Amino acid sequence: MNFRQPLLAAALLTGFAAQAQLVVGVSWSNFQEERWKTDEAAIKSELAKKGATYISADAGGSPEKQLSDVDGLIAKGAKALIVLAMDKDAIVPALAKAKQRNIPVIAYDRLIEQPGVYYITFDNKEVGRMQARGVFSVKPVGNYVMIKGSPTDPNADFLREGQQEVLEAAIKSGKIKIVGEEYTEGWKPDVAQKNMEQILTRNGNKVDAVVASNDGTAGGVVAALSSKGLSGIPVSGQDGDHAALNRVAMGTQTVSVWKDSRDLGREAADAAVDLAAGKAVPGTQKWSGGEKKVTMDAKLLKPVPITRANLDVVVKAGWITKEELCKGVDATKAPGACK
Amino acid sequence: MESLQLSALDLRLGLMAAVLAVMAIAFHVLTGNFLTPENLYNMAQQTAVVGIVATTIALVIVARHIDLSVGSVMGFVGVLIAYLQYTAGWHWIAASGAGLLAALAVGMYQGGLTAYLGVPSFVVTLGGLMSFRGAAFLVANGKTQPVTDPVFVMLGGGLDGALGILGSWALAAALAALVAWRVVQARRAKARHGVPSRPLAVDGVFAIGLIVLLAAFTAAMCAYQLPGKTHGQGIPVPVVIWAAVVMVAAFIVRRTRFGRYVFAIGGNPEAALLVGIPVRRVTLQLFLLLAVMITIAAIVAVARLNAGTNSLGTGMELYVIAAAVIGGVSLSGGSGTVLGSVLGALIIQFLDSGLLLMDVGIGQRMVIIGQVLIVAVAFDVLYRRWSGERLA
Repeated sequence: MNFRQPLLAAALLTGFAAQAQLVVGVSWSNFQEERWKTDEAAIKSELAKKGATYISADAGGSPEKQLSDVDGLIAKGAKALIVLAMDKDAIVPALAKAKQRNIPVIAYDRLIEQPGVYYITFDNKEVGRMQARGVFSVKPVGNYVMIKGSPTDPNADFLREGQQEVLEAAIKSGKIKIVGEEYTEGWKPDVAQKNMEQILTRNGNKVDAVVASNDGTAGGVVAALSSKGLSGIPVSGQDGDHAALNRVAMGTQTVSVWKDSRDLGREAADAAVDLAAGKAVPGTQKWSGGEKKVTMDAKLLKPVPITRANLDVVVKAGWITKEELCKGVDATKAPGACK
Repeated sequence: MESLQLSALDLRLGLMAAVLAVMAIAFHVLTGNFLTPENLYNMAQQTAVVGIVATTIALVIVARHIDLSVGSVMGFVGVLIAYLQYTAGWHWIAASGAGLLAALAVGMYQGGLTAYLGVPSFVVTLGGLMSFRGAAFLVANGKTQPVTDPVFVMLGGGLDGALGILGSWALAAALAALVAWRVVQARRAKARHGVPSRPLAVDGVFAIGLIVLLAAFTAAMCAYQLPGKTHGQGIPVPVVIWAAVVMVAAFIVRRTRFGRYVFAIGGNPEAALLVGIPVRRVTLQLFLLLAVMITIAAIVAVARLNAGTNSLGTGMELYVIAAAVIGGVSLSGGSGTVLGSVLGALIIQFLDSGLLLMDVGIGQRMVIIGQVLIVAVAFDVLYRRWSGERLA
């Protein structure tokens, strides 16, 4: 105990010191996934720029722990909260306390469907539209396969809705026929591969395009296609995975919709600072596209579809090195970004 | 049964083969394309990874242990092998060797805790299930690692990963000769020791049946021709690897002291210890053998997907254990066969593929496969009661 006391005192002191400036608390669901580290760095640096202090807690994948995390962040003096909810419904009790103290809450990337919560994310339906558009522009006629995301992830259905919007007219007119559609348990590439193989068998390999919902599943699809000698037919994806961008450069994947999570982090930090000061966030829109149709303030960022034509965007943004992007690409057929 | 000298075990394997045949015909009637060369080729490839690990998990369960970490360790080793090739630029042989060393270290750790410290393998490997999934993430920080080496990719099948027509028939002929030779050998050995052989007709039907099955499989694989290729594919490399693994495992079980020790320990660990069987060392060796199989499975899985991903092998432990259990391995130890694990893996894959071809949704598929596992074990319990074998 004796060892602890000076530490505790130091923590209290810094706590008081931080009172002078705005404290923003961020509750993460689970740091296991690589991408949240990118988000964290962006939030941290933007807050520092605005003179605010960053404090955080990681729930390690447990909705129960996240409840106490949020309480803890409020107790440490957070004046605005950014929450990446592990469970969109289980987080609700924690928000009551914040509401009572007039602490604004930002639902980060994952929807928390409650009045008064500010929702900031990439427009998932738009991602779906971009995936379908990317494939459709190359192959406007033929047999399509839809490889969907995890059946337990609501985003998988948002994506599918967006894809449908783009393809609807062509499906009605009979130009496009959907010959296979499968969910991919846990977004696992090997599951997507197996599903794709069975769909190919079912249709006697007569497949002209595949709308896959992310880069992982796209990887499985491409492996299935290449083992049947069909590589090169249009395939979509999302996330800007390095392996997928490499496939775009090689020509085995058509489009990877890229969501620069650094933008998301920056926007969330700005919104937190504005909301804590009682100001309106520029670019806010009313949004009610959730399950319960609750109207919320929201900001939906536009993702960027990366194709062979604009691969230089990801290189210039420092997302991937040119060397990694162009690994194994045939020099004679290389896209502009690899020259 | 008595007069034909058929054991309960033969009958069980025969029954399982019959179940497989019935399933295949039923699915073919329902979908119209289950028994096509293409689908058989798909399924053979899809089953290989689970099948390779199932052969040895069967032995682990026979010895009254369990390994829940197989999927996670395979993910860890697979990502490591892919990472060393893609990011570190190693040759695939060196990378695979390093993967094997990592797997052996894991086997040494988990097997050591189980064998020498007496920590229940269920607990050790439950911890491993989580830890090594995390390790799979840490190796490449969650990034997908593509592999492109043409020789390595062949190990997973794919466009060029098959033996071709000539190679396939040569292998099939060699195996057929082996089967015939083994039957003759067994009869001679029995005669020499004065043990009554089965009637010649029974052995003959068995050997000819097996050879016909082998020929039919080879013919199907050779009939599968990809668009743009001038000749059929032949037997895919992962299936050859799986077959080799099965033969090695069967050899270990039947012909080595180690194999007999495993069954003795599973039958009665105390008695095994009292008669001087080095129970601890055998247990550790068993985990190391499993590590070797996991590495082989990881290589095939990564080569098949053309990439190492941190989700590789998630949930595989369930399929592997289910394959062993459906294949007749008793969870109370002491009984089970390697061939049974092959049939068990095939039954699960038939079901999964057939339902996918029928376009059955994921929810229904999971419900059905889970219930089939229970039906298989329930049948197993009843069968053992009837035949007087050890009860599960």
